[in-house]
Amino acid sequence: MDFYLGLAQVIGVHTLLGLSAYCVLLTGQVSLAQAAFFAVGAYVAAILTVIFKWHLFAALGVSAVVSGLTACAVGFPALRVKGLMLVVATLAFGEAVRLFFFNFTYQIQAGELKIGPHGAEGFRQIRYFPEHGWSTFDVLMFIWLMVAIVMACLWWLDQSRAGAVMRAVGEDEVAAHSSGINVTAVKVLAMTIGGVIAGIGGGIFAHYTTHIEHVQFGVILATFAIAYPILGGLSNVFGTLLAVIFIQGFLIEGLRFLGDWRNLLFGALIVLAMNLRPRGFLDAGGVASLKRMLFAGKESSGA
Amino acid sequence: MIDFIQNTIDGVMIGSSYGLLALGFTVIFGVMRRLNLSYGPTVMIGAYFGTVLYLDFGAGLLAVAAAVVAGAVISGVYVERLCFAPMKAGAGIASMVSSFAIWMQLEQAAVLVLPRHTYPFPPLATGPALEIGPLLVRPDHLIMLGGALLLAAVVQLALYHTRFGLGLRAVIANPIAANLVGVDVGRLVMLAFAAASAIGGVAGFLVLAVDQQVTPMFGMWATLKGLIAMMIGGLGSIPGALLGGLLLGVVEVHSHWLFGPQVRDLFAYFVLFAFLVARPGGLLGRTADVELSHRV
Amino acid sequence: MLDVSELVTTYGKIEALKGVSLHVAGGKITCLLGPNGAGKTTLMMTIAGILRPRRGSIKLEGAELVGLSPAKIVSRGIALVPENRLVFPEMSVRENLLAGAYQRRDKSEIAADMERMYARFPQLKERREQLAGTLSGGEQQMLAVARALMSRPRVLLMDEPSLGLAPLIVAEIFDIVAALNRDGTTMLLVEQNAHMALKVAHQFFLMEQGRVTFQGTPGQLAEDEVIQRAYLGTRRAG
Repeated sequence: MDFYLGLAQVIGVHTLLGLSAYCVLLTGQVSLAQAAFFAVGAYVAAILTVIFKWHLFAALGVSAVVSGLTACAVGFPALRVKGLMLVVATLAFGEAVRLFFFNFTYQIQAGELKIGPHGAEGFRQIRYFPEHGWSTFDVLMFIWLMVAIVMACLWWLDQSRAGAVMRAVGEDEVAAHSSGINVTAVKVLAMTIGGVIAGIGGGIFAHYTTHIEHVQFGVILATFAIAYPILGGLSNVFGTLLAVIFIQGFLIEGLRFLGDWRNLLFGALIVLAMNLRPRGFLDAGGVASLKRMLFAGKESSGA
Repeated sequence: MIDFIQNTIDGVMIGSSYGLLALGFTVIFGVMRRLNLSYGPTVMIGAYFGTVLYLDFGAGLLAVAAAVVAGAVISGVYVERLCFAPMKAGAGIASMVSSFAIWMQLEQAAVLVLPRHTYPFPPLATGPALEIGPLLVRPDHLIMLGGALLLAAVVQLALYHTRFGLGLRAVIANPIAANLVGVDVGRLVMLAFAAASAIGGVAGFLVLAVDQQVTPMFGMWATLKGLIAMMIGGLGSIPGALLGGLLLGVVEVHSHWLFGPQVRDLFAYFVLFAFLVARPGGLLGRTADVELSHRV
Repeated sequence: MLDVSELVTTYGKIEALKGVSLHVAGGKITCLLGPNGAGKTTLMMTIAGILRPRRGSIKLEGAELVGLSPAKIVSRGIALVPENRLVFPEMSVRENLLAGAYQRRDKSEIAADMERMYARFPQLKERREQLAGTLSGGEQQMLAVARALMSRPRVLLMDEPSLGLAPLIVAEIFDIVAALNRDGTTMLLVEQNAHMALKVAHQFFLMEQGRVTFQGTPGQLAEDEVIQRAYLGTRRAG
């Protein structure tokens, strides 16, 4: 049972990571900095709860703000570059952040132990949940509550005018600009929202794993972050959730029995999925036909 | 002052390996306008071919080199067929995600074949460093630099003075127009991928023969260094790729000297980020018009 | 010479060509008229092999072309001068011409043909080492025609060669079309400028909404009242 609870936690946190990339991708920006925002969130939240003994909620709030500000700061210079240039620029930024934490030591004496992040060894003993009597189940509920809130907010954003504006920028920046949209503001805002979501995700991640270190936040995590929404499709937030379940639940955990051979199949299946559905699981056409199926059922039962 | 010159020389030497990796990357990128994250891992597969030959059969240096190139070409074509050929126009980002998945696959395959963390790789040239006045130069570094210059010249010549190069430049300019003058675009792209992988194979061989060891991390390392060098030099420019590599090497060695090994990479990435933002076209390239759009 | 029959080409579920049949006679200029969106460019791209038809056949002197790759179709003797010319901007004029002969291996003949092109298009000779992207629109059009001729086509397809060019240049282009035809080149010409087309073409087809709706000689075309009004009288195309 614990195995499934743990898996559900992983899926929840990775969904947050994927959603942070989702809202950046809507504006046509492919960012490999999401893992860095996630790392910022993780370290900030953990430092606040472990060293400053803050309440988790306050710590998560601050980590969201700090990550959001970091993302906003990246968003401005990143506007100057597009496409592959942006991918590489954000990758460089992400690696720089990772290497920053690789060199980052900030420890205080707590009884016999020293606590806090310690360079290459990482940040151990983030024991907020056990110390405050949260059960695994409580943690799980909390994670999914956050996922639900973020998804609901993004869903609402998607349906609103703001979502349409973001998609317009993603579709055709020049056209969006000429129809009076402030492209700069939209792109930086999307980046900032992505940073906030990644910050929350990272903060939670630090607390349920209890141990974070720089290697966890490298290029691989960054690529996973954009792989989720791309694989899931950009037509709505559920595609990302679906892709996280597919990758984390099925490809990584479900195929664990294959042992060393798992990654061979893992690669093949993702390539297969991308070949079959280059626009993701839930693209506009897929959603339309799904709706037709559902509503056709209703109509026939009504008639 | 002597230190500064020595560091610059060392940087150029190390940078020549980045330049070599960037050459292959530039050919792929120039033709596809898409990012191939599997580029480094395909070179690594080649390296593992060579290592197996060296460890299990005691193969000589040339045989190992040939095996590295052959392995890189085979896995490069594998990547092209799976991640690039089937993806239609507008699906550039699907190609990128697929190439990431193949990266994981290739890395796993390498670990399955040779499970230890590091394996020895045959050395390129042994012997003491050459002394030029107060300066030191390693002979294998010189060979690597020479290889980089030679390969860049060969690629440049092939691109501008052969029928294959003409067809390739036609595809780069406009695939439909290339089709209309009778260029078999699909086939040419595959050949270009194979050629780029062969260049990567040569690069990988030289780099590993200097390091004298191979690890599964080499794939990611090669992708990152090659990509960064390519971006600094300017997309689609062969001399730019080489120059970008050398510059990256010089920056790394100097920052290593000034700030220590831990900060070296950090500094290199910050320089890259600042550089890309300040001069998106790179040293010798134009601003990239990259096909990464992903219409909803 | 070139026989297209019952050709259907689709984009997803949209039928751009709904069963097009036409015949291009050897040594003649056949002109395809029609409004924007009628499917003219789609037809040209399908003949050249860039688009795959759903049904129908394209025969060059009896040999089927459907299913062949664009490169094979070029080597069979079809060359398309595409809409908007699509010269290779970063290559010199000379390299553009060389690219036009990509399917050929006869080096000395290629060199001889290149000289013939320079004789026919003196402006290109002057600018042989200049990058094609720096040429004027009219010069680029000439380069596109010369590039297509470098493959020694048996049928030359031209998609709106006058598009976006000044009237004087358009007249020059049509002089070239007429001259090429006098030298025996078979041509299928897509044109919206019906006035110019009337001066050179021997046979007309009118396409509307993916179908051929009229065919006839220049005389018949000029007599047809509907066409008069749509394509000649008001000088509006589409």
